Amino acid sequence: MKKTRTWTPLSVLGMLVMVLFAVICIAPFIYMMIMSFTQSTTLMLHFDEINFTDFTNYSYVFGKSGFLRALTNSLVVVISSCLFNCIISSMAAYGFEKKNFPGKEKLFKIYLATLMIPGQVTMIPVFIIMRKMGVLNTYFSLVVLILNAFGVFLIRQFMESVPDELLEAAKVDGCPEYRIFIQIVIPLIKPVLISLVVFTFVSSWNDFLWPLVSTTDSDMYTLTVALSLLKTQYQTNYGLIMAGAAVSFMFPFVLYIFLQKQFVEGIALSGVKG
Amino acid sequence: MERKKKEALQGIIYVLPSFILIACFSILPIFMSGYFSFTNYNVMNDPTFAALENYAKILKDAYVADAIKNTLAYVVVTVPIQTILSLVFAAFLAYKMQNKTGGFLRSIMFIPVIASAVTAGTIWRIILNTDGGLLNNLLGFLHISPVNWLGSTQTALISICIVAIWKNVGYFLVIYYAGIMGISKNLYEAARVDGATNIQQFFKITMPMLRPITYLVVTLGIIWSFQVFDLSYQMTGGGPGRSTVTIVMAIYNAAFKQYKMGYACAMAMVLLIIVLVINAVENLAFKEKEAK
Repeated sequence: MKKTRTWTPLSVLGMLVMVLFAVICIAPFIYMMIMSFTQSTTLMLHFDEINFTDFTNYSYVFGKSGFLRALTNSLVVVISSCLFNCIISSMAAYGFEKKNFPGKEKLFKIYLATLMIPGQVTMIPVFIIMRKMGVLNTYFSLVVLILNAFGVFLIRQFMESVPDELLEAAKVDGCPEYRIFIQIVIPLIKPVLISLVVFTFVSSWNDFLWPLVSTTDSDMYTLTVALSLLKTQYQTNYGLIMAGAAVSFMFPFVLYIFLQKQFVEGIALSGVKG
Repeated sequence: MERKKKEALQGIIYVLPSFILIACFSILPIFMSGYFSFTNYNVMNDPTFAALENYAKILKDAYVADAIKNTLAYVVVTVPIQTILSLVFAAFLAYKMQNKTGGFLRSIMFIPVIASAVTAGTIWRIILNTDGGLLNNLLGFLHISPVNWLGSTQTALISICIVAIWKNVGYFLVIYYAGIMGISKNLYEAARVDGATNIQQFFKITMPMLRPITYLVVTLGIIWSFQVFDLSYQMTGGGPGRSTVTIVMAIYNAAFKQYKMGYACAMAMVLLIIVLVINAVENLAFKEKEAK
């Protein structure tokens, strides 16, 4: 749709605003990267102090402050969360969408209703339950809460497009039930699973409050908790703190660069259908 | 008949794992929270019944009152601003910049969304530093004297709101952008034939067509904003004084610093009720408009 009257003063102004906002969005991260390569404990940036080949802050972060352990924990938790959420949610979505059982739609409504409950409201009883079970300070406690009705809802929406006839035909051919699910349904819902992985990755990687309250053993800290502690331990060592922030930002950022379309589609999908 | 039974059984088996988890970690805890809110419970000893004592205490607790006040202020500032900004930006990008540059700008605006609130808070805390922080340096070029952004009760909460808006706009922009792309081009063609200006088209076509999406954006915005914790924990720790303490921070402190689980649960129930009531009111408001 090319039109000649696109370039009014108003639209030029609008474009400037867009560019300005984009700069404001990215500048703090550039600042973070630059700061992470300085040794200064004052905030004045001296450009001669910036040395992009000097990884002192990074090696210090990994060496001394338990960051490497926290990074490992975060990676284990996030990868398990993605797998776990995809498996359980797609099973549930398949049950809801392609099978009939009494009370199905009512139960689905209850699932949706649980999305309204803020996690902080259930956090204390969950803490007490897990304490009784003796699973605090384990990967289990950090992974299991990732499951919520959102994934089930998202996949179920997508599964409407899987034709019943296809599943029926497979059944007639004598394909066992579990293989219909694994070999026919799962490959067909791959796009939505990728969106769910992206979602799960970001929310699990960025989760803070639950790891903060549920991990008392410093060996089980996740990256967000470790970063938060870094701030308290090294008040004015800004270069070091920024190096920590850069490490925690890098993983979702790289994922975003590669899977940008899935990030955006996943969110747009939840918006348009919701 | 036999087949139907078999199918029902299969359905239940597929749904069961998720049901157990949601029942144990979402539904049951709501009732437990309700129960504990009527008790004194410090985790070590068994809960003792305390009737409405906790709720009575909440009403008199100045700390909680400040937490509620701050959280409400945070919601009232962030939700409208982030909703309007994301709508206007999405509309502009969709109508005027549907090209490579626009796509690139959209990609950049999404970057704050993928950073954790803790990361964002860490960076902004340093940027907003009073002595030599990046923002005060930039303001210095304009001959504006340094502002004590996070250290003053006047500006600390508003600073956190601005960072939250900065972080959220990209998310809602993506949702709005997808919504705008879904609006039929014919509507705009017809409006143009009738001589409607771009601004008129925005108010008469774009905004009404996006009402369901606005509903979603406002609902999510409100629910998330009431849960604000990470940003203020990382940027100010609730201070200075009590000026940036939030409801969730009050719950966290009561439960995991002072081990007053019953009291914390009562606060959590208050948070739940606030969220549910606001949602119900909002539902009514949107439905009413729809009916018109």
